[in-house]
Amino acid sequence: MGVDSCTLWVNGKKYEFSVGTKFGQLSPEETLVETLRERLGLTGTKKSCDEGACGACTVIIDGEAITSCMTLTVDCDGKHIITVEGLQNPSTGELDPLQQTFIDEYAFQCGFCTPGVLMTTKALLMKNPHPTRKEIEDALAGNYCRCISQYHVLNAIEKFANGGEK
Amino acid sequence: MGKPLLNGINNPIPEEEYIPSSKRYFPLDRDPSEYKYVGKNCTRKDAREIVTGAAVYTDDYKMNGMIYGAVKKSPHPNAIIKSFNLEKAKALQGVRAVLTYEDLNAMNMNPLMGWPPHKPLLDKHVRYVGDAVALVAADTLEICNEAIELIEVEYEVLPAVYDAYSSLKDGAPQLYEQFDHNICPGGLELMQLDGKFWHLVRGDVDKSFAEKCAYEAEDTIEFMGMCAPNAPEPPGVIVRWDGGLKFSLWGTSQSCFLLKLVNESVLPGIKYEPYTFHTGGSYGNKQSMTFQTTAATALAYVTKLPVKVFQTKVEQMTNYQTRLGTQVHARMGIDKDGVIRAFKGDWKIDAGAFNDNLQGNIGVGLGETQLIMGKCHDWDLNTDIVVTNKQPAGIVRGYGGQELNSCLSMLVTRVARAGNFDPMEVFAKNYVSDGDTYIWRDGLPWRAHSIKYDQMIRNTAAKFGWKDKWKGWGVPTSVSADGRYVTGVGCSCIGNADVGEDCCEAYVRLTPGLLDDTTIATLHADITENGNGQRSNAQKIVAERIGIPYENVVMVPSGTIFSPTGVSLGGSRGTMTLGHAIANACDDVLEKVFKAAEVKLRCSWQNMEIKDNYVVSKLHPGEKIRLGDLVNYWCTFTGYGKHVEEFSTPSCVAVFVEVEVDTYTGKTRVLKMVVGTDPGQVIDPATLEMQVQGGIGSACLDTAFFEEHIVDKETGRTMTYDMLEYKTRPFNEFPEFDYLFEQSQFDTWQYHAHGIGEISGGGAASAAMLAISNAIGVDVSTYPATPDVILKALGKLPKGDKK
Repeated sequence: MGVDSCTLWVNGKKYEFSVGTKFGQLSPEETLVETLRERLGLTGTKKSCDEGACGACTVIIDGEAITSCMTLTVDCDGKHIITVEGLQNPSTGELDPLQQTFIDEYAFQCGFCTPGVLMTTKALLMKNPHPTRKEIEDALAGNYCRCISQYHVLNAIEKFANGGEK
Repeated sequence: MGKPLLNGINNPIPEEEYIPSSKRYFPLDRDPSEYKYVGKNCTRKDAREIVTGAAVYTDDYKMNGMIYGAVKKSPHPNAIIKSFNLEKAKALQGVRAVLTYEDLNAMNMNPLMGWPPHKPLLDKHVRYVGDAVALVAADTLEICNEAIELIEVEYEVLPAVYDAYSSLKDGAPQLYEQFDHNICPGGLELMQLDGKFWHLVRGDVDKSFAEKCAYEAEDTIEFMGMCAPNAPEPPGVIVRWDGGLKFSLWGTSQSCFLLKLVNESVLPGIKYEPYTFHTGGSYGNKQSMTFQTTAATALAYVTKLPVKVFQTKVEQMTNYQTRLGTQVHARMGIDKDGVIRAFKGDWKIDAGAFNDNLQGNIGVGLGETQLIMGKCHDWDLNTDIVVTNKQPAGIVRGYGGQELNSCLSMLVTRVARAGNFDPMEVFAKNYVSDGDTYIWRDGLPWRAHSIKYDQMIRNTAAKFGWKDKWKGWGVPTSVSADGRYVTGVGCSCIGNADVGEDCCEAYVRLTPGLLDDTTIATLHADITENGNGQRSNAQKIVAERIGIPYENVVMVPSGTIFSPTGVSLGGSRGTMTLGHAIANACDDVLEKVFKAAEVKLRCSWQNMEIKDNYVVSKLHPGEKIRLGDLVNYWCTFTGYGKHVEEFSTPSCVAVFVEVEVDTYTGKTRVLKMVVGTDPGQVIDPATLEMQVQGGIGSACLDTAFFEEHIVDKETGRTMTYDMLEYKTRPFNEFPEFDYLFEQSQFDTWQYHAHGIGEISGGGAASAAMLAISNAIGVDVSTYPATPDVILKALGKLPKGDKK
């Protein structure tokens, strides 16, 4: 690709990497989920299917919900990335209201898929603050939840999007 | 509490034994409406961790010096390894170890997995595509994978067999010399202390068919999808060598105790100290993880470094344990009143390439079958476990009962149809009740105590609208104007007496505040959080029983070293078992505290309680004493409690499903699902609701519609090898869902509950098949009922093999 460095903005913080194949360098083959988890310690983003089918690794890149297992880190040069760790207020620790709604509505079971579900939802709400139930369902169609928290998740998001009313 | 009827294994139970039990062992000493926490939703203690990404799962855990392990796998379903060339792999920079069966045998570290022990971790004989050929440890996973590609193996390829009936035939490929006709010995001593149990014989079945039955049904039904529970978090472990034969073990298991018990049993002399973090889904499927654990152990022993062995999703889908395959031939008889009176059958279990203790699954399957036919006293149901050249089956939510139920509930509806009975009424009338007896998976006869579900089943039917939707056998509920779309309804029931399984223990320690008047309760119970808020609900019980705020209860991490024995909340155990042990520990510690306060409060210990962090006298209002004033120098009080295994209060779940079928394309759509249960006193309504909704996932409901593993019989390879090929239900295809929870105060333990355990979706698939059959007016019994199955049933495609 001819690039020798890569800059990411993750949860508002700037990270610069040297690109190459030597020890410690960011390999051109490295996926974003690997960079987030292994280099930055942001393990809230989960790696599961590794082929974009389960949504557990979803993060927000420049406003779009993206599966980070299908994204090369070097392709994110200059981009702004939000992970689940970036949702709460970094100064006060106050939760994003969406996170609080998930707690209030019991919108998870094992919690493994929750970061991906939250990030897909957050991206949806950034574009469409008041989605219909169908729009929420369709937005989350790429997120896999095997415990079956779907009903509670959908109810929580619908309630959140409607200002507290389902 | 129940106890086994001591008349021996497989002995007929006399008719006079079928008597209701009237004695109550746990009186209702408080009105449930007075409970402060039990029965009410409480925020999970780990909620903030989960929504912020701070919750730790095993794959998130890192250890200094940790290296990685991976597996070279067989491309053949049945083959003998003739030779290896390992030199290139060993020479690769960063590779720490390459091990074959010869190395493990020389190290005396090649465990025999399964029961009876038969499947070496590594062997000269590979028995399925994906079977382990060699182990590699390296500094990075990338180096591991590169080394695996450099290992050269020469195979002698053998013919393979892919289903139980074929595997039993003379001349079929033999997977293990010791298993004649590929049949594994029945019975499991660990679960059947008084004798092995794999053949259910009760009463005189031939006489009963002749004298009691008015209608009969007989058929062979298969449930052979070998479906994948597919927990989102793949199975994996980290093993660290601690010197000698001692190892620390961190795993994605839902039970530290089973990690220790099973893996120490297959590697004699080795001692594990297991720990777990949050578990990212399990559904009963991630427990002992013997392969991953023993492979990592061998690599850690050789390299003296912590080794992480995690499966990729594709490995999980193609190598890890599936639901067991089931082929049942059975004959069933029902009397003129709709009571099932006689059952004769033969159940073949397809274990895949090795039998990982499926004898336990069989015990539960046989037991659960008697629960749904609880009035039947005459039985002959034989079983065989058969090995085949496919990825292994194993423990999955339902534990054999779901697989058998998916076949036999269908047969129950056949015999109900023969007598033109309403199937809902047949399930309600036949489900086990207080006084009925059954032989449970321990091989002992038990009498049901305190439970009764017939009205709950009818009430759930009413909530579903059964009376209006059920139009008769083979009659659709509705037909679209153009005749293309038809709808139909079905129902089923399932239950499990394993809600009382496993002896377990707990400690509750009360600690006075160091510098204030608070009282902190610390719960020592070995519980891994795997999704249902188990750890939080256990702490709720402590708060309720001790009388302190929920936020003042804390819990030790999961790990056998921190707590007394407990198999955790896997399977159906939990509410009644650890709940009982924890409540007993609370009662024990309160007795100690109150006795210490007797002199100071001038009343007997039975007349005290804890209120607002003080020990108070009920006899002398206003008299109270601080917990800290009852001990010297910040010492503590500790109580001990245990639960002793017993199987007298089976659970019950009734499922009602409405399905639409497109008769042009064969496509199906679930319109509505209603689940009813009576768990006794509900501990946490929100998590119970999600528990029953969970019956849609983990290869339950959708085994009727699209979930299945497809094996290419030319190559032995699993074609549904990843999440793109293996179909699951997405967020935007969920049906309308409703539930009914009744709350009988069962005589089980202090809070009169038994929970529902793992059965929430166990009856869903057979209910769906009945709904499809009624919708199209043709019996459909091929799982899953994919469009080609339906079009064949409708005569729109030629009959023949499904695939």
